[in-house]
Amino acid sequence: MKDHAYLFEGLTLKRVLLVSLLCVFAATAIVWFFKNTWLDLLVSALCVGYTSMVFFTMATNLRQRRVPPWVAQVASIILGSFVGTVLAGVVKGRDFGSMFTERLFGVLITMSLGIGFGCWAVWIYYNREREAKVAAELARARAERSELEKNVLQARLALMQAQVEPHFLFNTLANVQHLVEVDPPSASRMLESLIQYLRAALPRMREDTTTVGRETDMAKAFLDIHRMRMGSRLDYVVEVPEALRCRPFPPMMLITLVENAVIHGVDPCCEAGTITIRASEEGGKLRFSVSDTGRGISPKKGTGVGLVNIRERLKALYGTGARLVMEENVPRGVVATIEVDVSSPVAAPAPVAAPTAQAA
Amino acid sequence: MEAPTAVIADDEPLLRSQLRLRLSRLWPELVVVHEMENGRDIEQVIAAHQPRLFFLDIHMPGVNGLEAARVVGKRAHVVFVTAFDQYAVEAFEQGAIDYVLKPFNEERLATTVERLKERLAGGTAAGGASGNSHMEDLIEQLASRLAPRNGEHLRWIKASVGQSVRLIPVEEVLFFQSDEKYTRVVTAEGETLIRKPIKELLDELDPDRFWQVHRATIVNVDAIASVRRGLKDQAEIALKGHRETLIVSRNFTHLFKQM
Repeated sequence: MKDHAYLFEGLTLKRVLLVSLLCVFAATAIVWFFKNTWLDLLVSALCVGYTSMVFFTMATNLRQRRVPPWVAQVASIILGSFVGTVLAGVVKGRDFGSMFTERLFGVLITMSLGIGFGCWAVWIYYNREREAKVAAELARARAERSELEKNVLQARLALMQAQVEPHFLFNTLANVQHLVEVDPPSASRMLESLIQYLRAALPRMREDTTTVGRETDMAKAFLDIHRMRMGSRLDYVVEVPEALRCRPFPPMMLITLVENAVIHGVDPCCEAGTITIRASEEGGKLRFSVSDTGRGISPKKGTGVGLVNIRERLKALYGTGARLVMEENVPRGVVATIEVDVSSPVAAPAPVAAPTAQAA
Repeated sequence: MEAPTAVIADDEPLLRSQLRLRLSRLWPELVVVHEMENGRDIEQVIAAHQPRLFFLDIHMPGVNGLEAARVVGKRAHVVFVTAFDQYAVEAFEQGAIDYVLKPFNEERLATTVERLKERLAGGTAAGGASGNSHMEDLIEQLASRLAPRNGEHLRWIKASVGQSVRLIPVEEVLFFQSDEKYTRVVTAEGETLIRKPIKELLDELDPDRFWQVHRATIVNVDAIASVRRGLKDQAEIALKGHRETLIVSRNFTHLFKQM
């Protein structure tokens, strides 16, 4: 029995009360048209009502896919009305046989009334269900939107906090400190690169968008510093067409990829490595990529906060119009590409600006 | 008395020569017998030079300064060199471990040199603080913080897409599903096939994050939008941002019983 308990799910006290109320209403509404007493009609109505209610509940819960649920439900009302009418006759002590002969007319009327009121009740039920569904959908859409807003805010916050790494800064200054003594021209060059990098890195945190060109220059300054520091171990190539330099692009994403390429790609493998920054436009997509010839990604190595942050920010800024793709480089290393649909609205944090829910 | 000897390890050549230059001014008797790019081959260096002092940069690719210090142990006195690490510096202060900050401060370096001279003169070859097990604990602690060990779980899926090999972070995967010879890897953006069977994936993926719900299916728990009862004793999973529903077979429905 326990296995079939699910068939009666939804058969709540509330439902029983509602059906009872409906029966009282039905009996009252039709008492003027019949010779029967109100009590007599109420007994019939309750028999039909309860039977139909139970059958309807079972039909709703039935796990079947042969017919659409509403067909099963209507059938359950018809069947329920019939069984209920017979039951009413039995309750009132009527002769079972006569119900299908001289009393057939009365039985049919009771059944039809049962079906009529039953369908009306089902109609009410459906409307309420649909309202509940719409309300749930609306709540879900609202939750989704607030989630998105939260992501946008978090991404912004992370961007604000993405400061120049102190380790990088102090190590570079230590290099400059030494070069000032032993090789002043180099010291000056390194300082210049550091200034260029800082100038790009510091104010940019508060902007929503910058350009491909500015991001490239910043990455170049960063790589210049690392090239001097790492000696012959690091080399870099920049292939960014002049025409693409003025394209808008979100800040601090390229530099994160370049940092990863240096710190997780070239630096750990102790030979020399090359980093290539490439921008291209093809098929309505702007691609900005950083490839290295470093040691590559091992399958169990962490994916890093930086990449997760880029993904979140791309989602917040472009929705599905942008993605970060990671690939293996040939013969080794990693290529990280940020791909943005050129047609997509550029770097406007739209979800916050558009407060209307779609489901409404 | 024979001249004190030292080895300098730093991955940046300029910073190695800088430390060497500064030390030569403050401590002319000190002989830097060797320079290293990282902590690799430290055994050979000890065997060849038997230095009394090691200046170890903490952040070095390959074998870092803390790992190197562990290898050195009590055979020489260790001085750590670091550019910036508040946490490490605090730990060094508390543990009375010698360290030098980059960029160098002339005065601060001079103080350290004085202290090192005393330590070496004290005759404790193992060098004061570095001799006790407290330092080993400290290094252990710092090392685990510096290099979070690569987890035992799979973090990236390598999948061939056309000519290239795509690297997909596992958190992007909605579900894995075996498809005869291959395994489907489905993300919000599309799907690819890999050769690794479900069974192997199950062993390598983080069990808290990826649940097997069917003989042929592993689902990312974070991607589940809702679970509802299906036919017979099965259940159905609806996913976030994906149309397909997944069947939870009878053997796995207990996973969702409390939900």
